[in-house]
Amino acid sequence: MKNGRGHRRRPVAVIDRLLGLARARDGRLTRELQRKPGGFGLGQVPTAKVPDATTGMVCGFCSTGCGLTIHLREGEAVNLTPTTDYPVNRGMACPKGWEALTVLASPDRAVSPLLRGRDGQRREVGWHEAMSTMTARFRAIQQEHGPESVAFLSTGQIATEEMALLGAVAKFGMGMVHGDGNTRQCMASAVVAYKQAFGFDAPPYTYQDLEESDCIVLIGANPCIAHPVLWERVTRNRHRPEVIVIDPRRTETAMAATLHLAVRPKSDLTLLYGVANALIEQGAIDHRYIEAHTQGFDAFARFVRRFDPETVARETGLSAESILDLAGRIARGQRVSFWWTMGVNQSHQGVKTAQAAINLALMTGNIGRPGTGANSITGQCNAMGSRLYSNTTTLLGGRDFTNSAHRAEVAELLGLPEGQIPDRPSWSYDRIIEGVRSREIRGLWVIATNPAHSWIEQTRLRESLGTLDFLVVQDMYHSTETAELADLLLPAAAWGEKEGTFINSERRIGLLKKVRRAPGQALADFHIFKLVAHYYGCGSMFNEWSSPAAVFQILKRLSAGRPCEMSGIADYHALDAARGIQWPFPRENPDASPQRRLFADGRFYHPDGRARFLFEEPRPLPESPDQEFPFLLLTGRGSAAQWHTQTRTGKSDVLRKLYPRDPYVEMNPTDAEALGLSTGRWVVVESRRGAAPVRAFVTPTVPMGQLFLPMHDGSTNRLTLSAFDPESRQPAYKACAARVRAALSSEIPDNANGSPNH
Amino acid sequence: MGFHEAGSSLAVVSPPHPNLAQVLAPSSSSTLAPARRAPAREPVRGDRLIGAYLSEQGDLSAVEQFAQFHAETAEPLQERYYSALLPAAQPGPGQQLAFEVDLERCSGCKACVAACHSLNGLDEGETWRDVGLLLGGTGALPVLQHVTSACHHCLEPACLKACPVDAYEKDPITGIVKHLDDQCFGCQYCTLACPYDVPKYQPDKGIVRKCDMCSDRLRAGEAPACVQACPHEAIRIKVVDIDEVRARAEQGAFLPAAHDPAYTFPTTQFHSIRPGDLRPADGECPTPEHGHAPLALMLVLTQLSVGGFLVELTTRLTGRADGVAGLAFLGICLVFGLLGLVASLLHLGRPLYAYRAVLGFRHSWLSREVVAFGLFAKLAVAYVGAEALFPAWLAGRPGLRLGWLALVVAAGLAGVGCSVMVYHVVRRPFWHATRSGLKFAGTAIVLGLASALACLGMARGGGIESTGGSSVDLFPALATVLALGTVAKLGFEAMEGRGARESGPLGQTAQLLQGPLRQVVGLRRLLGGAGGVLLPALAVAGGAPYGLGVSVAATLALVLATAGELLERSLFFRAVARPRMPGGLPS
Repeated sequence: MKNGRGHRRRPVAVIDRLLGLARARDGRLTRELQRKPGGFGLGQVPTAKVPDATTGMVCGFCSTGCGLTIHLREGEAVNLTPTTDYPVNRGMACPKGWEALTVLASPDRAVSPLLRGRDGQRREVGWHEAMSTMTARFRAIQQEHGPESVAFLSTGQIATEEMALLGAVAKFGMGMVHGDGNTRQCMASAVVAYKQAFGFDAPPYTYQDLEESDCIVLIGANPCIAHPVLWERVTRNRHRPEVIVIDPRRTETAMAATLHLAVRPKSDLTLLYGVANALIEQGAIDHRYIEAHTQGFDAFARFVRRFDPETVARETGLSAESILDLAGRIARGQRVSFWWTMGVNQSHQGVKTAQAAINLALMTGNIGRPGTGANSITGQCNAMGSRLYSNTTTLLGGRDFTNSAHRAEVAELLGLPEGQIPDRPSWSYDRIIEGVRSREIRGLWVIATNPAHSWIEQTRLRESLGTLDFLVVQDMYHSTETAELADLLLPAAAWGEKEGTFINSERRIGLLKKVRRAPGQALADFHIFKLVAHYYGCGSMFNEWSSPAAVFQILKRLSAGRPCEMSGIADYHALDAARGIQWPFPRENPDASPQRRLFADGRFYHPDGRARFLFEEPRPLPESPDQEFPFLLLTGRGSAAQWHTQTRTGKSDVLRKLYPRDPYVEMNPTDAEALGLSTGRWVVVESRRGAAPVRAFVTPTVPMGQLFLPMHDGSTNRLTLSAFDPESRQPAYKACAARVRAALSSEIPDNANGSPNH
Repeated sequence: MGFHEAGSSLAVVSPPHPNLAQVLAPSSSSTLAPARRAPAREPVRGDRLIGAYLSEQGDLSAVEQFAQFHAETAEPLQERYYSALLPAAQPGPGQQLAFEVDLERCSGCKACVAACHSLNGLDEGETWRDVGLLLGGTGALPVLQHVTSACHHCLEPACLKACPVDAYEKDPITGIVKHLDDQCFGCQYCTLACPYDVPKYQPDKGIVRKCDMCSDRLRAGEAPACVQACPHEAIRIKVVDIDEVRARAEQGAFLPAAHDPAYTFPTTQFHSIRPGDLRPADGECPTPEHGHAPLALMLVLTQLSVGGFLVELTTRLTGRADGVAGLAFLGICLVFGLLGLVASLLHLGRPLYAYRAVLGFRHSWLSREVVAFGLFAKLAVAYVGAEALFPAWLAGRPGLRLGWLALVVAAGLAGVGCSVMVYHVVRRPFWHATRSGLKFAGTAIVLGLASALACLGMARGGGIESTGGSSVDLFPALATVLALGTVAKLGFEAMEGRGARESGPLGQTAQLLQGPLRQVVGLRRLLGGAGGVLLPALAVAGGAPYGLGVSVAATLALVLATAGELLERSLFFRAVARPRMPGGLPS
């Protein structure tokens, strides 16, 4: 085997040939792994999964909105590959996308409505009984405590058509006033920031901007792990861009950056004000742009004067030089883009931090041109649909419940009496939960979200949910933490088992298709909402809402004349052929190019067409570390193979292999040494509110004095503190005081795998 | 699970719920939803609506509703993105194909692992690619480095060399190391031999499978799944010069914290390795490995058998023509040996193909072990058979009798030697020939003596009547040697538990022995001490006249000593540090 080329002596060659006869080169096992040309432009695929047709749809995990080509046999999905000619992902996907079909087949799927009996046991019932019971219980509550005493918690995970139908049925038909989405947890701060600054909730960018920028500023974002396909776009940037990462941790993205600023958690607002001040001082601002297209700059300039480099350095833990360095790089950039995600949004001052990024884009004229923008990267696959059409805190089409002209418009467009439309917006998520606690809300309907894992400060949340008279949970799995608390569980069809559309981070409307049969009696959320309307006696109000495709036409009508107009999209077939279409796409003269950005004309959505400079004095952390709880606890995404509360990603064997089996806390080596802890050791992380047994994961990427817990473990939110941004009411998941100690052997979970240190 | 078939429970039209009378009244009717159905003119009842929705849920509509794109496209569309990641030409003489990984571009998304799984149709949970994690750098500039890797298609593949059935081939042109799935019989020796943990055993198939660099795809000009799927173009296929690979490996250049490349000469090239002291992110905190019970049983019982025959031979050489206890002892040695060989079959994923095990004789120590023990078994069966059937004939030919026995012992010792080499050659320090050689020899001596003692004990206690005169007077001497041997062996093993603070594989072994495996270690010592020292001493101390007590003590000594050795051998497998690509916390 010297070089594998077989220049051997003769007798040996004969022996080899004889031995070769004893070699089974083919057979059942060999054939199992054979590959064959798949056709349809796919290249080779596993022989057992050669498709007879393919179709495209968007992924159902995050807001990147990748196109996936589904490989079909007799109409049913057998495999998938990322779509090469989809303008978002160009044939790439993260592991979640690759495994999107796997998680549909799981013994945990809900296959029948489950009703909890008087004995506390859940039993299977038919849909008729489920719907009758839900109607009877909710009606009884509403009769006794008023229509507002029943509320709903919706999601960014279902189709736009479905969330619009839910919002309409609940608020116009069932008389509810309060309903909010889990989108409150991920991008409410960005929504409010945009609304106030631009006059409409409008992320202005297109993903192509990541390839066009010569300076990319990422604030509280780790796209390498949270949005790998967006990071793909950065790696395809041919302009040798500056990549600046502002993040307390040295993340994968920070590793790849040209400049990483490890700010003290939640001091990013101060840093951004400091950068604004430095830019003004350096004269590196675009006076012409400020003059022509913005309002409030002078007051802003006066306000940031106190944020000199030394002050900012003191408050952020950075050096004054690095702050000036950051400002210098922004000043030198021709096409500077600012991107943020949960590090900014999930904060006690998230709106103002997002607006501080918007201010930097406005004052340097970095908006409306290729490679620029103040760009919020969204979380869930249809958070953007929820923002516009969920009919929760904003009226359908990004309208205002309190605006009577808006109500009249919607009433006319839907053929409803105006009086059916509430004249006030819904309570936000946190207020609904407090309403539950104070018994103002007695019935709750939770759709495709898992608050009993994801909501901040779990102990308080679970206490609150326990006081409900009737909890209905609608989910694809019977085993989510929230589903297990339900009085009535409604089995839902999942992504891939129903139709509709999603809107991604760059405003691209993408299509969902039915490529798998839902298990048992699970029904599309759309049809569950139709059934609820029927049983509630308001079905006739929604006759026109007969199918997702029909609702899409209604949504087009609702969008007409709004910034988010999509009336130019004929129907689902047009979306399919175009590989998704970004809003705005009006009927008159639509621009059909596949990469479009907003504000090229410098006109914003405020009546005067000007963007606003908005700012506020930074506020201290809601809970600072002290002697008793000396660490600052951060939470966030663990790996690209994990999604939120893991109800789906935990169902794929492949995904489970891609992250540590046991929950873990990341901590700095110096802190670990001081506490006598080492990697793999079981520890308990504690806050004033709870404790989480996890393994220690010692890494220099977490600064001293900080701890990082992935959000995917159920115990993480036992520790977090109910603190919110006052404007967006988004929970501040990413900073509270905590401590860590070695675990007692009684505290180590029973199912832990071969524990090395105990 | 027991769910209702779609709609089955709804076929019966039940009367509407009393509360719903109002709901179902004509004024509040709604229409059947599916557009393709004729709209109902009559008021719809809830149960009918449910039935309609459930039936619609069963329709798969994507194909009929939407156009088929790329129906005629035979060429892969993705080629436009991956063509630059493939070599322009086939490897020439002195060259082969290799993976090239740009670590600066590997962001840890792990799409490559999932894509490899999907595009190759692997079983649920089966993955051929891994993404490891290195940590280090300085406090001021920490380094976090994900490392994607699959098979390194080595110049001298340890898997290929180890395989007893020649189920591995190295392609003479591409250098791709391919596994022949139908040839594999599931011995898993390659999984021990590969220092990068590449071949993966599939228990339900009973075979190992591994990455073949998607050789069919490469042949068709397509990129391997991982190359196609990496969003950041971190993985390429490259033509490498074999001499260059060899030279780099000899300089130790491969990847920090990975196994010494001069063992197998891996061809994967990792670029942009960040400077600084990079260490595996798991902090080298070890987890116990698989215990491989059938292998432990096989090793211990074959060694007992060989040890027994050795004791027998030694006894004969000291002038006792009938050995330890005549045929009884020989029978015991033979039965245990055969049991050990049967146990080894239990280890195989596809035991029906066990006969193939000799194919790799020229390179695989496992094949050699099989051949040596096969010979041992045949010689021993024939010899013991002759002793049983033609004792007089054999007694008349003392030279032949002794020579034959010596041959049995020689074959057995060769087998034990091969066993030592099987583990030695995979380059795990805990399995180095000096360690496993002493252990295996120790087991042979201790259990050989213990079984002789048990046999004598029974003979003395009147349990069995030997065919010839038994060497009862040897009892105290054998017991003494047994006790000394046991103490020496336990002492040697105890040394392995030390050094838990040291880094490296032996440190990890020590950590395991002191940590998660410490209870097993304790039990092993207890059994060893009781079976090898305490009970023999009691039996001797009992003194004449020997009775039933001695018989029981001696038998129990053998049972406990064997159990102790089995635990020792289980620890041999469980406490070894498995070399692999550097990784994070166990998944």
